[in-house]
Amino acid sequence: MLKCTLNGREVEVKEGTTIIEAFYQNKIDIAHYCWHPGLSIAGVCRLCMVEIEGNPRLQIACNTVVTEGMKVNNQSAKVKEAVKWGLDFHLINHPLDCPICDQAGECGLQDQYMKYGQYDSEMAEAKQKKHKVVDLGPRVVLDSERCILCSRCVRFTDEVSKTNELGIFNRGDRAEIGTFNGKPLNNKYSLNTVDICPVGALTSKDFRFRQRVWFLKDAETVCTGCSTGCNIKVHYNREGLFRVKPVYNAEVNGHWMCDEGRDVYKFVNKESRLLDARVVSGGKAEHMTAFEAAKRVGEKLKGAGKSVGLVLTGSYTVEEYEAIMSYFKTEVGTDRVFHWINNPESFESFDGLLLRGDRNPNTRGLVQALQKHGFSAQWKELTEALSTGSIQTLVVAGPENQVWFPDFKVKVAELAKATRLVWMTSGKSSALDELKGEVTLIPLKSYIEKSGTFVNHAGRAQSIRPVTSIVKGALSLTEVVSAFRGEALQATEVVVGRSENEIGRGRIHNEFTLSRGAW
Amino acid sequence: MFKLSEDGLKYVKNELTRYETKQSAIIRCLYRAQDENGGWVSPEVIQHLSEVMEIPAAQIEEVATFYTMFNKQKVGRYHVQVCCTLTCGMLGGRELTDAMMKEAGCKKTGETSPDGLFTFSKVECLGSCDTAPMLQINRDPYIESLSTEKAVQLVRDLRAKAKGH
Amino acid sequence: MAESKYLTEHYGKPEYQTLEGYKKLGGYQVLEKALKMQPQQIIDEVKASGLRGRGGAGFATGVKWGFLPNNGEPRYLLCNADESEPGTFKDRLMMERAPHQLIEGMIISAFAIKAKKAYIYIRGEYTGPAAILEKAIAEAKAAGYIGKNVLGSGFDMELDLYIGAGAYICGEETGMISSLEGLKGQPKLKPPFPAVQGYLRKPTIVNNVETLAAVTYVIRDGAAGFRKYGTEKSAGTKLFSISGNVNKPGTYEVPLGYKLMDLINIECGGLKPGRKLKAVVPGGSSAPVINAEECERATLDYECLAQMGTMLGSGAIIVIDDSNCMVDVLSTITHFYHHESCGQCTPCREGTGWMEKIVHGIVHGEGKPGDLDLLLKIADNMKGRTICALSDAAALPVLSFVTKFRDEFEYFIREKKSKVRGGQIYAQMHA
Repeated sequence: MLKCTLNGREVEVKEGTTIIEAFYQNKIDIAHYCWHPGLSIAGVCRLCMVEIEGNPRLQIACNTVVTEGMKVNNQSAKVKEAVKWGLDFHLINHPLDCPICDQAGECGLQDQYMKYGQYDSEMAEAKQKKHKVVDLGPRVVLDSERCILCSRCVRFTDEVSKTNELGIFNRGDRAEIGTFNGKPLNNKYSLNTVDICPVGALTSKDFRFRQRVWFLKDAETVCTGCSTGCNIKVHYNREGLFRVKPVYNAEVNGHWMCDEGRDVYKFVNKESRLLDARVVSGGKAEHMTAFEAAKRVGEKLKGAGKSVGLVLTGSYTVEEYEAIMSYFKTEVGTDRVFHWINNPESFESFDGLLLRGDRNPNTRGLVQALQKHGFSAQWKELTEALSTGSIQTLVVAGPENQVWFPDFKVKVAELAKATRLVWMTSGKSSALDELKGEVTLIPLKSYIEKSGTFVNHAGRAQSIRPVTSIVKGALSLTEVVSAFRGEALQATEVVVGRSENEIGRGRIHNEFTLSRGAW
Repeated sequence: MFKLSEDGLKYVKNELTRYETKQSAIIRCLYRAQDENGGWVSPEVIQHLSEVMEIPAAQIEEVATFYTMFNKQKVGRYHVQVCCTLTCGMLGGRELTDAMMKEAGCKKTGETSPDGLFTFSKVECLGSCDTAPMLQINRDPYIESLSTEKAVQLVRDLRAKAKGH
Repeated sequence: MAESKYLTEHYGKPEYQTLEGYKKLGGYQVLEKALKMQPQQIIDEVKASGLRGRGGAGFATGVKWGFLPNNGEPRYLLCNADESEPGTFKDRLMMERAPHQLIEGMIISAFAIKAKKAYIYIRGEYTGPAAILEKAIAEAKAAGYIGKNVLGSGFDMELDLYIGAGAYICGEETGMISSLEGLKGQPKLKPPFPAVQGYLRKPTIVNNVETLAAVTYVIRDGAAGFRKYGTEKSAGTKLFSISGNVNKPGTYEVPLGYKLMDLINIECGGLKPGRKLKAVVPGGSSAPVINAEECERATLDYECLAQMGTMLGSGAIIVIDDSNCMVDVLSTITHFYHHESCGQCTPCREGTGWMEKIVHGIVHGEGKPGDLDLLLKIADNMKGRTICALSDAAALPVLSFVTKFRDEFEYFIREKKSKVRGGQIYAQMHA
């Protein structure tokens, strides 16, 4: 460990730490654009200037390693002047797009200007014109005029996704980010470039023009797209969720997340959800609350024994599995609990970076719970039992994220052979709507609306907490079990719009606004 | 669709092993492909080189757009590059270019003359300041110690030569 | 000054270009002598000679060689033949008239620093010199001067010619390394320095054409012999490329310390009749301009020019007489840097464009009263803030032209025409 002084404060850092990392670790603000802890050093924005005692020239903090006793200052007049001019150079050709730019409110240029700029521009010449609204790929749009050429996105496609789609073409102030014609930016991690772009040069097609960020709150949770369990934060308001960004976790996902995980928020918003329970019998459908429907089902399940089967997917929390398995074992009296694996051929696959073939957040939790309760039934037993009529009532929980269960419709048809079918899930589906016979549909809470624990592929337990309520009356499986028993729900699952980063009106933050990191 | 000739492919193959890494071969291979493609580097050229050299197209595109000697637009048979920096600027390089362009029928730099023969560029210091003003056509040896009259005559001579007189 | 000609002694003889001719006139004898020395002896001799880099930076060559680490990693010697500094054409002369002079110097230098592989990086536009060099390298290979076991010494060495494609920034040593690696010629962050981690992250020495050729003469005559000419701090002779408003522009070899006015009036035959000297750019466009009064005092060595606030640089001298408009001259210079900025660092990328636009405005008669002070501020804030010195090189001419010839700039802004040439300025005559 080395000792050094940053702006008068003595701190300790590991050997080999650069000055900017030292600032960062100690949550001291330093102006920067091109540096990113997950990428190689570029040293091109020239904003992280610092004064080092004993050195007449200002140095960049990102490429200077801390030495024992080094005294660093980024608050002197000389540094502030250098940073102000550095910012000035960034802005002289920058278009005045703020009124139409998605990045407004979380923009590196806006934020740094408010901190280190606040000057009157003296640039009176015509600005450099470049390409705008460039379709880079299926998920990303480029605006070259806004681009500050920090090269983070290029380094990302070179070093992290290793797909090399992006380059910087042309020389000097004609330089533009781009892809080669015919090879678009379509790797499975492309939206990370939008996250790391400090300005509105790279923006998400999905989020384009949908919401101003100062009307969004953020909350941390865990992605349910696959068994990796990337740590994420969701951005939401009363209308629902708008987008998802990764949260840094050294042991799980580093700085990144995959593009498919970003779509998971769509299954959570009202448009995709089962809004209330439905009991279909003799061709007629009766609507009621989830609680009521579950209570009715519970009356029939009690003591029904082996004529009842339970199908589970890896979509639920450890606590939910415990509740429902205990109930079915002891109060229903059946051991016919089946694990629905969505895509056996690719279940074990891994793309080398983050995305796994097991598209459930808690398969390990499910498997552990099955083992604990001694449930070892195989899927073929279910098929047989349905055809012989040995199972009369089938209760199905899941799947969440139906789109990643390619056999969903086929399975629905297969499971519909049961005399009585109880299907519990959060998302609506035409396959479920078209079910005939005796069917009860119960809407469940999405992962955004409940608390619990997921165990990822590596056995790591991660907790989720309720962020907001999307569908009133939806239940977690634990609450469903209470309803089966006819017990009133406890008030513990009252939703609180929890946001760790909430300040004032709950504005979201990025790495430039906060002096403490937001990774 | 652009494809290198058989000799061109042999050339590229040889270049790929000439240096410590195959990336180093990009410049020479681009020159070769440019020559075989009528004097310019089109997107098809980049695509083809990317496949033949097994180097990401974006990397080759970066190199092709960074250096001035790769023409990203079509040029005439004679790409006339007139030096206009410092000494050449002081000794009439810019005016000389305009006179040549007028003779050739080009309204602005970068534009090819109607007969497809001439494209003009005002370029930076070519390293021949003692014989200013001067120019370079394509990648040929310099033509130095010019005057406006000599330069205009040069255009006439080249045109005559091209038309087989 | 005939006896002070080292490099250019035989440049007038066409046979000097060929291996046979070169050998007949004394070529490759020093290589034989050098191969019998210890590499460290050669390095020490070069250090003692005070030979300084002839490309522009003027860094002590022997000292640079001494930075190589003893870590067993393969070393590279790179010859910087990118010669793109406006006003410079001396290396071209050597490569055309005396390619073997460069090759001999390179082999000796490679032997001294134990580099098994050497490249000559030549600018893409120099197709003439490149062809001559290729031929000479082939001749040298065939004669056993390059390759395995050079002249039976046990030293293996390969030499290859690498061709650029038009980028001034490739003359910056790490820009050149990037270009050699097949990337865009963008300079790299320092540290690490090339001597420690250069080409492909291996220890690399980058030297100018003239520097490497001069090494031969240091070994031939020894450090003391080399110091016969020049000054204490600027030893030896140097090639100067001189152009502009002189009667006999060209490349001349004179001892360092030679009076600038002698070079102009004697070697170059003075100015055109009736014209007075107004300014000289003494070391390539990146060197601050000096006015007529300063020219009278100037001697061509590193320390005198540094003291005057300018630099010897590449030894490219551009002579400007009183028929020229300094605003117009500056406009071609700002255009140059705007065109050549690699675009990596924000201050340089944006600043070169901004300065060009302002000067462009002035020269088109659209200048505004605050333009000059703004230019000075921009230039001031481009210095010392970037990965490489191009930003400084772009700022210095602006600072020096505007400061020393402010009256011409103010006139142009006020009267919307040139103080010297009225409306006869290119920008105003040709839209």
